[in-house]
Amino acid sequence: MIVAERKPIEEIIEEAKGFDRILVAGCNECVTVCEAGGKKEVGVLASALRMYFMNQGREVKVDEVTLERQCDHEYLEEIRNIIDNYDAVISLACGVGVQFMAEKYFHKPILPGVNTVFMGATEERGVWSERCQGCGKCILAKTGGICPVSRCAKRLFNGPCGGSSQGKCEISDELPCAWQLIVDRLKELGRLDEYEEIMPIKDWSTDRAGGPRKVVREDVRQ
Amino acid sequence: MSLKEKIETGQFVVLGELEPPKGTDFSHMVAHANRVRNRLDAFVVPEMANAVMKASSLGGCACLNREGLEPVFQACCRDRNRLALQADILAAGGLGIDNIMVVPGEEIAFGDHPRARAVHDLSLTQALEMIRGLCSGKDMSGIDLQGTPDFLVGSNLNAGVTGGALDLELEELSSKIDLGVRFVITTPVFDLDRFEKLLKRLDRQKIAVIPTVLLLKSAGMARYIDRNIPHISIPSDMIQSIQKASDKLKRCVEIAGELIAGLKAMEVGGVMISTIGWEDKLPLVLDQARLG
Repeated sequence: MIVAERKPIEEIIEEAKGFDRILVAGCNECVTVCEAGGKKEVGVLASALRMYFMNQGREVKVDEVTLERQCDHEYLEEIRNIIDNYDAVISLACGVGVQFMAEKYFHKPILPGVNTVFMGATEERGVWSERCQGCGKCILAKTGGICPVSRCAKRLFNGPCGGSSQGKCEISDELPCAWQLIVDRLKELGRLDEYEEIMPIKDWSTDRAGGPRKVVREDVRQ
Repeated sequence: MSLKEKIETGQFVVLGELEPPKGTDFSHMVAHANRVRNRLDAFVVPEMANAVMKASSLGGCACLNREGLEPVFQACCRDRNRLALQADILAAGGLGIDNIMVVPGEEIAFGDHPRARAVHDLSLTQALEMIRGLCSGKDMSGIDLQGTPDFLVGSNLNAGVTGGALDLELEELSSKIDLGVRFVITTPVFDLDRFEKLLKRLDRQKIAVIPTVLLLKSAGMARYIDRNIPHISIPSDMIQSIQKASDKLKRCVEIAGELIAGLKAMEVGGVMISTIGWEDKLPLVLDQARLG
């Protein structure tokens, strides 16, 4: 899933303080799971904003809505009838949702309420960690299912650097060395001989290096 | 007189573009430069123009500097992060290179290493800010430098854009001037009337505008540029004149000479002659334009 973090309330207030009618819009997908932008967080942020404006002696309308997804036309359409009741929307979706909403409601300021940080997994409640950078050419079959692009600090492809110590990365004692994880898993799978294969130099053209990306599937396109 | 002194005193400068080699043999580059020694004010050494991998601008500049020729070093944000850029710029300063220009760099996808990963850690204006910092003795983390560079700073200007894009270009130019840019080299100019209109919108008291004069090689090349390179247009009568000429090279050199004369009459800050692969023809262009 896409993992996001709540933005500091001060930053949100700074961007939103000039408006009189604000809609706080959550998203029921990834940001709900990582507890940054679901219905609960919409409620918390809306209350904080109401309190701020009340303390300022200002009458500001702050309403709440949570859409199933903000990265699909059909769910974004659900606010078409109400959007003109507001001067701005604070979207608690990831950067995709914020932008898609801004594209759809071109004349309405859409402000981000979260910082989108990575694609990752829930290790335990309250702990999310990165697993994928969307490089466009998956090599997990060769690396024991552990990605050196997203999990090695140096994005190394052919084993650890000299900074790997006791299974940890040199940049933090708390960070496992991706190549230690890869070697351990290959050993477990009885495929350690694959570790000896030299990986070709990475083609980054499928990453952002080739410019913004697009996937077109003619077979399912309508 | 150095390039800096000439630009600061508003004198017409003549620059030539010299690509470093794709390899370690710099002898051709140096020979081309020596052939026009004393006829040019400085040599602009591109940093992997069109994203084609070559020896670095810094290497080329160091080579020319060693020969007693004045180079213009290009720093490009595409391939280097802030550490690498600062390191190279300090190295340039330490090597006695006095002129620097910051360029955006073509997209990697257009070059000969399309699988490479682009950097773009700093934008062009941020890089200019960084250079200003280095010239005042501090790196980007605010740490004092041991020895401070003193550069004449330049950048690029897209002379072919129109409408809203031109407004943005001019807005960016104004920020560049505020960040210490003293000269800009434009994209190749072929249409003098159009260029004159652009000149009217520039404050030449603040900035030396140096148009690029590109030596055409054939009518085919001219037609290709006109049709395919955004923001560069070549008048059709110019293309036809090459096509009709019995001596194509002579006509191409004449065109470059005519453009230089026309630009000089507009009192631009100078010209930058680009010959892309025909560096041995630089003396012919200079003869034609009666320069040096």
